[in-house]
Formats: sequence, C-alpha cells, structure tokens
Amino acid sequence: MSDTTATTAPERLGLLRVLGPGHVWALGVGIVLVGEYMGWNFSVGKGGMIAGLVACWVAGLLYTCVAMIDSEVTSTVAAAGGQYAQAKHIVGPLMAFNVGLFLVMAYTMLEAANAITIGFLLDTVAGMFGHTGLNQKPFIILTILSLAWLNYRGVLASLSFNFVITAFAFVAIILLFFAVQFGVSAVPLDFSAVTNDPLPYGWLGIVAALHFGLWYYLGIEGTCQAAEEVRSPARSLPFGTMAGIMTLLIAATLTWYVCSGLIPWEYLGNSGTPLFDAARVTGNSGLMVLLFIGTAFATTASANGCINDASRAWFSMGRDRYLPSWFGAVHPHYRTPYRSIVFLVPIALIFALGAPLDQVITFSILSGLLGYTFMTFNMVMFRRKWPLGTIKRGYVHPWHPLPALILLILCGATYFAVFLGYGTQLIAMLSFYIIASLWFHFWRYRFVRRGEQFTMPWPRPLGY
Amino acid sequence: MAYQPPKQGIAGQIIDVFVLLVLTVGALYLPLYLGLAGAAKTPATIENPTWEALGQNAAEQQQWAALGYADPASANEIITARFDYTFSWTALIVMIVAVVGYFVLVVRLSQKEYREVIAERFGDSKS
Amino acid sequence: MDVWNYLEYAAWALSALVAVVMLLDMFRIDTTYDDELLTSSREGELELAQERHEL
Repeated sequence: MSDTTATTAPERLGLLRVLGPGHVWALGVGIVLVGEYMGWNFSVGKGGMIAGLVACWVAGLLYTCVAMIDSEVTSTVAAAGGQYAQAKHIVGPLMAFNVGLFLVMAYTMLEAANAITIGFLLDTVAGMFGHTGLNQKPFIILTILSLAWLNYRGVLASLSFNFVITAFAFVAIILLFFAVQFGVSAVPLDFSAVTNDPLPYGWLGIVAALHFGLWYYLGIEGTCQAAEEVRSPARSLPFGTMAGIMTLLIAATLTWYVCSGLIPWEYLGNSGTPLFDAARVTGNSGLMVLLFIGTAFATTASANGCINDASRAWFSMGRDRYLPSWFGAVHPHYRTPYRSIVFLVPIALIFALGAPLDQVITFSILSGLLGYTFMTFNMVMFRRKWPLGTIKRGYVHPWHPLPALILLILCGATYFAVFLGYGTQLIAMLSFYIIASLWFHFWRYRFVRRGEQFTMPWPRPLGY
Repeated sequence: MAYQPPKQGIAGQIIDVFVLLVLTVGALYLPLYLGLAGAAKTPATIENPTWEALGQNAAEQQQWAALGYADPASANEIITARFDYTFSWTALIVMIVAVVGYFVLVVRLSQKEYREVIAERFGDSKS
Repeated sequence: MDVWNYLEYAAWALSALVAVVMLLDMFRIDTTYDDELLTSSREGELELAQERHEL
C-alpha cells in the first residue's frame, strides 16, 4: 500500500482513497451475507415456512427501495459516515446525530451477533468431535480483536480480505444448492409442511416474520460508509450497492429453498447456524466442511465490515464534534480512524459476551429500521431542497416518490412485526434515542461549529 | 458572525463519552434485567409423543435423526413450542405514538438547528 | 486436556497479544504526533479536489 496523498497538503491527514467497485461489493455483501448463514431462519420460527419466503421477498423489495434511494443520495453526498453525512446536509444536525447512532448501534450489534455465532459454531463442531462444554469466550474475543486489528492496519487489506472470504461464502451457498439438487443428500428434500401446515400462525405470522426477514439483507446500505475511501464514489457506490442487492436476492432465495427442504421448520426456526445444519442433514462430509468454512467466513466478513462501518460513522461524528473531537483522529501511517476502531472493541465485547443472540439481532434490526424510516423523508426533502438539475447527481433513481412511499409502508409493517413479541425492546430502544437526542440538543450541540458542518459544495437549499 | 463553540476539556470529553456509554448499555440491558425482553416460545408438549402425533412424516423423521434427535420425545418441546401473538391495542397505540413522536421530535429540533447552519454558511439574508 | 482445550488457551493468548500490540501502537502514535495533526481530517475535502458539483 502506498501513501497516495498528492492532492492534499502534507500537514493534513485524510482517509486513503484506494477502493474500487469490487471492494464496495465486498463491503456490502460481506456484511450481509452472514444473514443467510444465521438469523434469517428466526423468521420461519415467527411465522412458518411460507411466511419465511414471503418475508424474504418483501424484505427484498424493501431493500431494493433502500438501495435505490441510497444510491442517489450517496452518489451526491460522498463522505465517510454515509447516511450520517446525508442527514446532516439534508435534514439537520440532530437527525444526523441520531442516524450516526443508528449506524454505530446497528453495526456494532451485528458484529457482536457474528462473534456469538462463531463461538456457537465452534462449539457445535467440538461437540461433533466429542468435546462437550467448549468455552466460547476466548474465540469470541479473539474474533473481535483480530478483526479490529486488521481494520486498524488499513482499509485496503481488510476489504481485499473481505472480498475473498465473501466470494467463498457465496459460492458455498450455490454449491450446496446444486449438490442437493443433484441428489447428494442422503435425506430427501421435503416441502410437505408447506401444504400441511402452511401458516401455523395465520396471516399474522407473515407480518411477524418480516422482523427477521430484514436480516437477509441488513447492512447493505453500509456501502456508503466507504465513500471517502472509494476512488470514484459517484460511480462505484451505486454500482457496488445494486450488484450487492442482486447477489443477496439470489442467495436468500436459494438459502430458503435448501434449508426449508432439508430441515423441519420447527427446528429451523430456532437454529443457530441453519445452512451448516442443512449440510449436516445431507450427511455429506464434504458439504459439511464447505458450509462450516462458509459460515465461519461469512461471519468473519460481516464482523470485519461492521467494524469498518461503525468506526467510520463514529469517526465522522467525532470529526464534527458531535462526539468528543478526540475520535476524529486518523492514523498517520495506516490512514484509518484508529481511535474509533479501538474504542468500539470493548462495546462490541460487552454485547457479544453478555446478551442472547436474538436480542442482539433485534437491537441491530431496530436500529437499521429506524435508519430506513429516516431515508424515506430524507429522500423527499432532498428532492425538494435541491430539485433535479440544481446539483450534479451521480445517479438518479426512477419513479420518485414511489420507492420512498413503498419503503415507508414496509417500515410500518416491520415496526408492527417487531412489536409482536419484542415490543419491550422497541420501547427501550426508542427511549434511548429520545434521551440521547435531548442530551445532544440541549448539551452536546454547543460544541459544534455551525456553518462548518455543511461541507458539500452545493447552492443554498430551496426554501431556506 | 459565526458561532464560536467553547473548547471542551479532556475531562468533559470523557464524561460525554461515559454518558453515551451508560445510555447504550442501559437501553440494552435494562429490558434483559427486568425480564421483559423477548418473546419466549412456550412449548405445549403432548403426552406419549410419537412422530405421527407430532405431525412429522417419514422424510422429516430422517431429518430429525440427522440433526441428532433420535426419538420423538427429545424433539417434543421444539416441535410444539409456539409464540403468543395476542397483543393489547393500548400497547400498539403506545408504540405508534412513541415511534411517530420520536421522529417528529427529532425532525422538529433538527429543523431549528438546520436553519442556523444554513444561515451561517450562506449568509443571513435570503435572495 | 484435548486439542480443544489447547485451542482455548491459544485463543486467549492471541487475543491478549493483539490487544497489547494495538494499544501500544495507539499509545505510541498518540504520544509521537500532535493531536492537531491527527484530527486534521475534514469531511468533503477530497470532493472539492476531485469532483465538481456543478452542471
């Protein structure tokens, strides 16, 4: 890696601009693909097999809207911190502070969930080799620490690493699908539950399943965190994000098919590592090894991407003094937001070691969901304050405001889905954001420079 | 006239981070400690379970065996566990009010701050 | 004691090693460089140099 900082004056430090569209794809898909290896199946538990599939596609629609909206705004507001920087320019500082917290929370929780899964996976494998009671803690800690170190050392290395392991995990899903299709499995595929017991919870189950349906795709919007490190953000970001959504739609459908066919839905709804379990059911040791590595890689890639994204968001807030400016530091050699990376390690550890998986996932999903709700009115305000033609947009999404509207409706349905069964968390989470907002507005905002936050070279917004 | 923020000392910075940290951990662990967290499924196990009584056909029985559940009794709890989706309308209304209220609050306060930002960045008078 | 126990110890040791290395590097950087320089990054700076938001 070379220090390419010819454009900036030597006394200023910035993040390194080294990434291409492949890295963006790896960052987006890498974070999300783990959703296929664990977590999505809780949607089957919440509503049955059909509900799981419907949730998969409805959530796919939701995320297509997210990707379209996000691509347009990001191709214009290309700054580290992604949606945080968007909110700051389009809605206002307090919204930006909240969005920054959504991002940090969603990604840190997801990182914790990944580490928990790695511990659980190793425990399962140890159990298969006759070792019971493996202590998962050291492996969870090692995962988080070593990935933090990789991120600390530089973005190019960590995302190139992500590209390789993400591609492997994706290929593993496709191989499993074909292997099962061509009869490698010792146990037949069985979809009788689809007809016998299609909706164990009735129609309510379909809505309820949406809650974990988001997990198939959660985090794809993280691609725009890399905006300051991508060589040509206006082109790479929309391209990488859209390619990511397509990859995920394919992977999600294949995953549903294989897992639902091979695993009784009652078990699937509770499984910690569904794809690996599907491989276990086939009885083929080659597939088992493949999906074990796939699961391990997918969780690692995801945790890696999460550290990258969460630290960028935290760093951006520090840089604007929304948080103590101490966090806005860039490492002089590696050009990474090193203090933010280190600071978020213990936070991830607290949750990885202390909370159950479905809780951690729910907190991550809720923070994500609040972020998507923000995107709907963010998009409308963006087009209103800067109509088409007033600033240069790298990408313009079609049918505005239809995607924003669909997104809003789906978000509403998902709030209801979370409310079914996890209402307390929803209220706890909202109380947290409300208290934090008041704290920011009445205390913290005094340390923020007013005009300087607006960094985009745009004209004055319409109506102000 | 640009707004000049006060300089924050190191102690203040640490306190601010600490406040955020307490809030975060509180939001996550309070529901857990109070035992309010999460929908636990309640198993409704049946007497003398057989695979047939549990509604599992031949293929599914093989699948259970491959997953390490050799006899119906061991899978009884997993198969019969169900969520309880009965909810109170009051709770639903409280949730809707909370979500909408939260966004209204944040956008309102943001709007106020945003006008200041724009005024400082682009000059006070419009046109 | 089987291989999994050794793996546990290895994981503990590696974790500790990584943590120490990372914290040492952070400490070294923080004491070697001036804080003004470290926090000198500005949002949107590169956009100004690279892309024009004009039509």
